[in-house]
Amino acid sequence: MTRRKFALLSGAAVVGAYGGVKLQKVQKPPELSQGPLGQSAVAIIRARSYSDDLVCRMLEGIRQCGLEVRGKRVLLKPNLVEFDPSTVINTNAVVIAAAVEVFERLGAAEVKIGEGPGHRRDTLEMADDARYRATIPKFERIFTDLNRDDVSAVKAFAGEPEFYFPNTVLAADLIVSLAKMKTHHWAGATLSMKNFFGVVPGSVYGWPKNKLHYYGIPESIVALNRQFGSKSFAIVDGVVGMEGNGPIQGTPKPVGVLVMGSDLVAVDSTCCRIMGIDPEKVSYLRMAADLGHVRPSRIEQRGETIRSVATNFALIDDFKDLRLVTPPTVS
Amino acid sequence: MYLESRLGFLRASQNPDGGWGYFSGKESWLEPTSYAMLALRQGGEPEPALDKAWKLIRSWQLDDGSFRPSGKVKEGTWVTAQAVMLAGIRGVNDASVRHSVDWLLRVVGAEHNMWTRTGSFLHLIKARLDVSHEGWPWMDGNATWIEPTAHTLMALKKVVGQYRTPEVERRVRDGEDLVLSRRCTDGGWNYGTPNMLYVDLPSFPETTGLALLGLAGRKQQEFAGALDLAERFRADTKSSLGKAWLQIALRCHGRDVAGPAEGGFASSDVMLASLQALGHPQGNYRLFGAERQI
Repeated sequence: MTRRKFALLSGAAVVGAYGGVKLQKVQKPPELSQGPLGQSAVAIIRARSYSDDLVCRMLEGIRQCGLEVRGKRVLLKPNLVEFDPSTVINTNAVVIAAAVEVFERLGAAEVKIGEGPGHRRDTLEMADDARYRATIPKFERIFTDLNRDDVSAVKAFAGEPEFYFPNTVLAADLIVSLAKMKTHHWAGATLSMKNFFGVVPGSVYGWPKNKLHYYGIPESIVALNRQFGSKSFAIVDGVVGMEGNGPIQGTPKPVGVLVMGSDLVAVDSTCCRIMGIDPEKVSYLRMAADLGHVRPSRIEQRGETIRSVATNFALIDDFKDLRLVTPPTVS
Repeated sequence: MYLESRLGFLRASQNPDGGWGYFSGKESWLEPTSYAMLALRQGGEPEPALDKAWKLIRSWQLDDGSFRPSGKVKEGTWVTAQAVMLAGIRGVNDASVRHSVDWLLRVVGAEHNMWTRTGSFLHLIKARLDVSHEGWPWMDGNATWIEPTAHTLMALKKVVGQYRTPEVERRVRDGEDLVLSRRCTDGGWNYGTPNMLYVDLPSFPETTGLALLGLAGRKQQEFAGALDLAERFRADTKSSLGKAWLQIALRCHGRDVAGPAEGGFASSDVMLASLQALGHPQGNYRLFGAERQI
């Protein structure tokens, strides 16, 4: 084990907010799987600011990805972590409000919003700070605090005979990961897949959900996506992302895009390429390559090209080696 | 009006099984049930509704002494501390409670091991963090955090009269030391990580309140300034939950806190109603105070 790996892993373990005590289990990255058959569509849609017509943009992206919504119970899962007015930690409220309108327009049987923040107990107050209550119509009526929802057991998840998930999550036909495009000081990048940490209930696993850290951050991301990825769709808020010491203390990075698709691995790989990160070096994406597509040749890019929107996100020293060294492939 | 509206809401939202959900109409969980029981307690009077709740909680004890957080969850967690605290308040002193105290004494934060202590000594851990203390995790096998440590400190102090042993006293002292060591540079506490990648992190109102409750009975000079910060948090925070915890903590530490503005309760949040009732000047906030100094 290198000094850097020890520092990262033990720091993660002890500091714990994103820790994973796997000191004895540092392994060579797995060979990159070929992934499922066929290609995955990922739409990159321009949205230069939050005052753009995001409803129209999202409808266009969803149409390009061929998502069926009619009759489904839809759960929108934003990324609400902490609030700091000086930066952009959370999925912007305007993006969530637009998504509510979009999925209602597309004929969803119901549209709910659910989130279970990892650090703070008072979810509604954070939602208030992030202007969710002020911006999203009927917010309190459609919002569920996933940390304090009733739960049901799922068998054989993350090495546990039984693992508990909120009933609201289990009941949804379609989970829309409304993630934020951010760097992450333990995982490299946090996008639509990592956003699923928020479906793990604090009432069982605590604040933070330390059980996931001990199972391993990449391992947990992959397990959560193995569990829920097949009934999910991603819309990544890259209108303004976060670079540097993300996911909380980084700095705003305007990109001007929404990135969408049903293959969350492909969406996150595309986001990484936009951010100047090589997705094949991001451990959880390598590990998830049997669930979806990482290789650019297997991702059918729709809307804008990666090259036309790509902008390097600043990376902390520990993740400088994730930098994409070849120019993004345009398909 | 303020207190009665919350107590009335709690009485009306008790589930048929005797417990309370996090929100009215939801399944019973140990955490909201314990707060509701404390809020509704009227010492010395018959309390059939609370007896029913206590019976439900006791049915969630596992063979190892720990308590499950709800009827659906099969694993014991930090809520064991809440059950022990309730036992102490209710004057229950039997072998099963002793078994739970033993479980609490056995559980330590997983970072308290040779690997991480060595890493810390060699400055390989990129955080300002004292890993020499044991503390308590949310779940056995995980790392230490402020909230479960604070709850366990409150519970052990509540029962130390019945179970006074050198080990109880040592764990309480060490747990308090851990809380003190995890204080943020702004003077309060967050979930338990004051510093990450050598960047100081801010404290939060609710965890500052809980940490102060865990330190009840300890000399206030050892956390000088924290109570003043708590007063500022209480005045400034928009978080109803944070305000409620701070109200309880400040009263338990002898601060003369102004009562809340009068008003009804318009939420379905059982935990919030309970904590707001507990923190009221006529509420049962004293139940969170340390029974005696260790």
